[in-house]
Amino acid sequence: MAASAERQVRISRVAGRYLVFDIDDVLYIRRHHGICAVLTGTMPQNPTQNLFLSLPVELQAEEAQLLVDKGAGYIADELNDHLLRLSTMNDSTRSAYLQHIKQQRRNAQRVFEEEKAKVQARHQNKRKANRPASPSSAATTTEPAPATVTEDGDSLFDTPKPTPPPPSLTSTLKEKELPLPGVTPTTSYPILPAITSPASPASIASTNATTPSFYPLYKYLNSRGYYTTPGLRFGGDYSVYPGDPFRYHAHYLANSYGWDEEVAMLDLVTSGRLGTAVKKSFLFGAEKPGGPQQSGGGDGAGGVRVFCIEWAGM
Amino acid sequence: MSLDNDDDNPSLAPPSITTSSGSPSHPHPHLPTNAAAAAAVAAADDLTPEDLIEDEGAASQDFRAFAASLSLSQQKQQQQYRKTPGVSAQTIRKGEKDFESHGTRAQADALEQSRGAMREVLGYTRVHPAPAAREGASAARACNNNRGWYFPAWWEGYREGGEVGVGGGNVDGGGFGVGEEGKEGKERRPFGFVRERVVVLEGSSVASQALGRAVTGQAKERPARGKDWLLPEEALYLVERGSLDLWWPLKALGEIFPLDRTAAAVTEGGEEAGEYDLGFPLSLQAAYALLIGNDGERGKISLQKFQVYSNLKRCGYNVLRAPPTRKQPTPASSRPATTTLWQWFGSLLSTAPNHPPYGPLVQPGLYRNYASIYRQLALLPRHKPSPSPSSSTPTEPFTIHYHIWKSAQKWTKLRHPPPDFYLAVVDAQQSSVPTLSEIAPLLGATPPAPGRPEWTGPGRLYARLKHGYRNVLVAVVDHGVINYMRFAGGGGGPMLHKLLSIEEAGRPDAGAGYCDERRNLGDG
Repeated sequence: MAASAERQVRISRVAGRYLVFDIDDVLYIRRHHGICAVLTGTMPQNPTQNLFLSLPVELQAEEAQLLVDKGAGYIADELNDHLLRLSTMNDSTRSAYLQHIKQQRRNAQRVFEEEKAKVQARHQNKRKANRPASPSSAATTTEPAPATVTEDGDSLFDTPKPTPPPPSLTSTLKEKELPLPGVTPTTSYPILPAITSPASPASIASTNATTPSFYPLYKYLNSRGYYTTPGLRFGGDYSVYPGDPFRYHAHYLANSYGWDEEVAMLDLVTSGRLGTAVKKSFLFGAEKPGGPQQSGGGDGAGGVRVFCIEWAGM
Repeated sequence: MSLDNDDDNPSLAPPSITTSSGSPSHPHPHLPTNAAAAAAVAAADDLTPEDLIEDEGAASQDFRAFAASLSLSQQKQQQQYRKTPGVSAQTIRKGEKDFESHGTRAQADALEQSRGAMREVLGYTRVHPAPAAREGASAARACNNNRGWYFPAWWEGYREGGEVGVGGGNVDGGGFGVGEEGKEGKERRPFGFVRERVVVLEGSSVASQALGRAVTGQAKERPARGKDWLLPEEALYLVERGSLDLWWPLKALGEIFPLDRTAAAVTEGGEEAGEYDLGFPLSLQAAYALLIGNDGERGKISLQKFQVYSNLKRCGYNVLRAPPTRKQPTPASSRPATTTLWQWFGSLLSTAPNHPPYGPLVQPGLYRNYASIYRQLALLPRHKPSPSPSSSTPTEPFTIHYHIWKSAQKWTKLRHPPPDFYLAVVDAQQSSVPTLSEIAPLLGATPPAPGRPEWTGPGRLYARLKHGYRNVLVAVVDHGVINYMRFAGGGGGPMLHKLLSIEEAGRPDAGAGYCDERRNLGDG
């Protein structure tokens, strides 16, 4: 945990939205900060379904805010960073990036080769089994197998290079013989700086401006170990889960109100009924004005009070 | 979906996907009475309402099942690059969940497995097949059908010809070199959004059959003539699904697409011309950074709109940007004289008698049928839907952003029938239920869509009501979660209908009284 506490999650701000692209970051905030957010991308392995989606993960503004407040993440203006880095790229970053890509391409190539070899081997085994071994067929079948093995050996030899050396003449020549598959990496990691300097208060300040009014309630729920997802599915501000939504059903459907805000009785009845109909109870809460400063006990509750309503159905 | 030639199971084709990303509503924005959608309905019938209620979509995915279906015999290392063909929707099922934590190790293990599986599945790197190596072509010049180049400023100064679209023949027929001034006798092409196009495709792949557009009528000396240019959402969608290798150019467009083929061979002479001399591949992150922008930015698309676009594309719909609204010449007179049902209703009821200021509504007298009594009971004049739309233009965000077609064999990007659906995209947090002055122009921007002829009669009143006289879909996006609603103008007055939600889909026909009441609410 100590090591992971130092991890800084890069939150990409793109056109006012907050995205996370690194799978390790996604898992990290899911494990350690109770943020699961929403996967929004098309799953490249299976792109014609909407059930399982892929990176990037879209964070709500309050989730991004929470990570920044906890010092676990920083917000990067993705467009500016990319334009700046892409247009004024020095040779070393560029070669590092290209080397990174080339490495991935080689890995992919190796996987494909292995697979091909396996399929071939299976094919030949089948043929062998079907036909009693005749000397000529045996000769042809044994021949390709060592060839693939040597290729594997080559690429295996290539990969353990710890630091990518400048592309040598021989390696480029070799690649020309064997066209490598192209790859699209998920993150542009080597291009971008690992961590922006802590002196980026401007970006943090601008998150403050966009933080919705229900940040206190969100923070309260998060501090109690609840996971939240956007509430659109059930008609509230959040759906609230007692743990990782991988394992648990949502318990609550949460709405945030202002402390002195008049809440229409009909709204309570509506939401209470709605929550009960989807087997959730309706939770609503608000922060006492000047909350965390005045009553901020050690429980992390700040001045937030929450209530639950269930439809009695009498 | 015509895009899919290699990696998808036909059983995943549009109708069989029954849950959109987590919305309890149905991704199919049409009524189940549609005969063409019979398959979809059959699939939907497998789901009990209970399933739909408990469907928490993205949040409840069990990646273990998915990972298992993807990697029947693969090792971890392979999974990063390899996709397995033939994963059917049936094998992608959600796992069991618990009510709450009971602190057992079994539970913790299950959770850890889910996370591990998610790590594996999402750790995939998009791989593009190696370009076909040709004799005498260097790696950089090898024809790479999957490659696209990001040229945001190329069409910046372009002016779309006319309001209807540029004149010109088909994609390849534009060898005039004159410019795009309207040539009479040419077929009208759909509006091109040429200024918005930022990614040029290197070759023609399967993707370019449904996406992208070649800009015709360009001078011969312009490089990359006849190449397909993609809109930002198309490019990003293709990158996401692993069908496009997006590159950042280091050279000008003219150098990447040399005018004559021999030039390629000459530059190739420089032996060490690495494959990254012209540019280099961009990551998914970079693609998002470059292609997602605020509303109204040229060459970008807002994240919400992109999410809706890709959601619909994943379902198999054909989606195009709606052309900019233009004043329609009011074709009131050209309308055929056939009276639709609604018009008939209207004519029946619009002859409102004059009521005296006091006294009973129904004048004493002898009545031989109910119709004349009802006519006297009608106090408020009923709105008569008119085929000519209101003159006001829709305001953001309640404007039509996408035209949607159900997937069909003969649909092409240049030639297609009128869209099946009209869609607006709104943000859940930044907008509220549209006011009458917002929804009326929105509905006015869609063509009149009288219901099916078989919906006549008292039993189908609810179907008619739901369909309305005009209707429009509104996609509500809440941080990646999308819900589709249908707003239908029944008899002209706008009414809100949540599309195919459980209550409405399962609700018995409430009868004429109820529906009339609803319609009257929308009047005036």
